[in-house]
Amino acid sequence: MSDILLELKGLTKIFTDDAGTAEVLRSVDLKVPEKEFLCILGPSGCGKTTLLRCIAGFETFTGSVLIDGQPRTQPGTDRIMVFQDFNQLFPWKTVEKNIQYPLRLSGIKDKAELKRRSDEAIAKVQLTGWEHYYPYQLSGGMKQRVAIAKALALKPRIILMDEPFAALDAMTRRDLQKEMLRILGEEESTVIFITHNIQEAIFLGTRILVLQPGGEIVYDEPNTLPKPVTPASDEYGRLWGTLNAALYSRSQG
Amino acid sequence: MKKKKSETLYPLIVKIVFVAALLVLWEYVAKSGLLGEHSALIFPSLETIGAAFIRNFKVGFAGSSLWIYIGNSMKLLLEGLLLGIGLAFVFSGLSIISRTFSIIYNFVVSICDLLPGVALLPVVIIIFGVKPGVIVFLVVHAVIWPMSRNILDGFLAVPQIYVEAGRNIGLKGFRLLTGVYLPAATSYIVSGLKVGWARAWRGLISAEMIFGIASCPGIGLYINQMRTNMNNAEMYATLIVIVIIGVVVQYGILSPIENNTVKKWGMTR
Ligand SMILES: Nc1ncnc2c1ncn2[C@@H]1O[C@H](COP(=O)(O)OP(=O)(O)OP(=O)(O)O)[C@@H](O)[C@H]1O
Ligand SMILES: [Mg+2]
Repeated sequence: MSDILLELKGLTKIFTDDAGTAEVLRSVDLKVPEKEFLCILGPSGCGKTTLLRCIAGFETFTGSVLIDGQPRTQPGTDRIMVFQDFNQLFPWKTVEKNIQYPLRLSGIKDKAELKRRSDEAIAKVQLTGWEHYYPYQLSGGMKQRVAIAKALALKPRIILMDEPFAALDAMTRRDLQKEMLRILGEEESTVIFITHNIQEAIFLGTRILVLQPGGEIVYDEPNTLPKPVTPASDEYGRLWGTLNAALYSRSQG
Repeated sequence: MKKKKSETLYPLIVKIVFVAALLVLWEYVAKSGLLGEHSALIFPSLETIGAAFIRNFKVGFAGSSLWIYIGNSMKLLLEGLLLGIGLAFVFSGLSIISRTFSIIYNFVVSICDLLPGVALLPVVIIIFGVKPGVIVFLVVHAVIWPMSRNILDGFLAVPQIYVEAGRNIGLKGFRLLTGVYLPAATSYIVSGLKVGWARAWRGLISAEMIFGIASCPGIGLYINQMRTNMNNAEMYATLIVIVIIGVVVQYGILSPIENNTVKKWGMTR
């Protein structure tokens, strides 16, 4: 299969500190084809963030992370991370410069081209007019939009999102979910999206994964519900129930 | 009718009234002869000080206007500041790149920061002799340690997420330093500049007062000469000059730097 973009082979992560050692990921195998929107659900502490950080190259690990068949151990612009933390933008750069800076680092020197790329990305997240604001002047939701725009502008092979909407209020969260769906319709990017929220996973994912401690994959199915999914959609209730059961399968009451 | 006090106007009025009251008091003491026959000498009247202020620049001392002395001091100060700040950046930067260097440098900074520059003066003179370079050395000493301490603390306080965001977009080593660590530590760097400048300015004047360098006479030497010649009015006038220079640096250089960086970015601590 040549359209496999990301492959994890026996990915194992052991944290060692004063308290001892903890095997957080135990030999995780996973294949992510191109243009997939993979949502990962899992109870708190099961290793979701750790998994994403290993893929992003922020952690050392054993086993392998392959992008287009090539091993990755260091961070790189082919895998761009969108964090949950609102403060992931550089406060010393305007919205526009936050987006242009990585582009400049990746070798685009032409000012007009940079402007075109940043304007396009800003328009996609509906922040036109906010180009020259500094991050401290934006709301949390707007900051997350900029972080997404920054990732989109770079056109990475895969975008890694770690609960990017978790700290937002319910209304803003809905808005951003809708926008994500619209953008992905246009972009066809490959995304791994971590969430605690079953509704969010069903709404966004084209495939849903449920992890349990140790990074054990207890559920892995394509999400065939036609988009946009609403709680009124056929099968919504059944899928929700299945995911909920998988999520709580290891907890005792 | 009492109007609401403006937020910015009120402090200004308070300051002006305070200074005016001080000046009136001063003038009263000067004119009243309260302090006996030397009253006029210890407390010269404001007119005398004003005249001395002008004389400082017009006549000066030993054939040179006070401008020349100011110029000499400023030249040494600037050399020392640039060298000290530059070295602080280089060494603190190296501390980010090498862990061993970081351990050594943190240790050196902690120790040297405790040494008052003036206490080093005799040692430095014995080694180097009485040269303008000694003043530069003292200015470097005054500025490099507080500046380094602040930069190092600033680097430590850089949120991990900025570093990861930087590494994610391909920054490492020197590029990560200039692209993330330096801007993220700006508020610390600005406080380092403030402390460093204040120490350097004081250190410079003290050193010049302790030993004037004939080949490069500065403001400290000038004040000292005024003292030995009992030109008290000139002495006071020169103190005013020193304060003015301090104010100009604060409001003409340091505040704009702050306004254009941390304040503009909403990064004030
Ligand atoms: N740097 C670290 N050092 C030691 N242990 C760690 C470290 N980072 C994470 N862990 C441990 O690894 C486990 C998984 O953490 P991780 O953050 O990946 O969970 P998560 O699934 O993202 O949880 P949440 O849903 O709460 O974000 C936890 O038990 C945590 O204590
Ligand atoms: Mg997490």
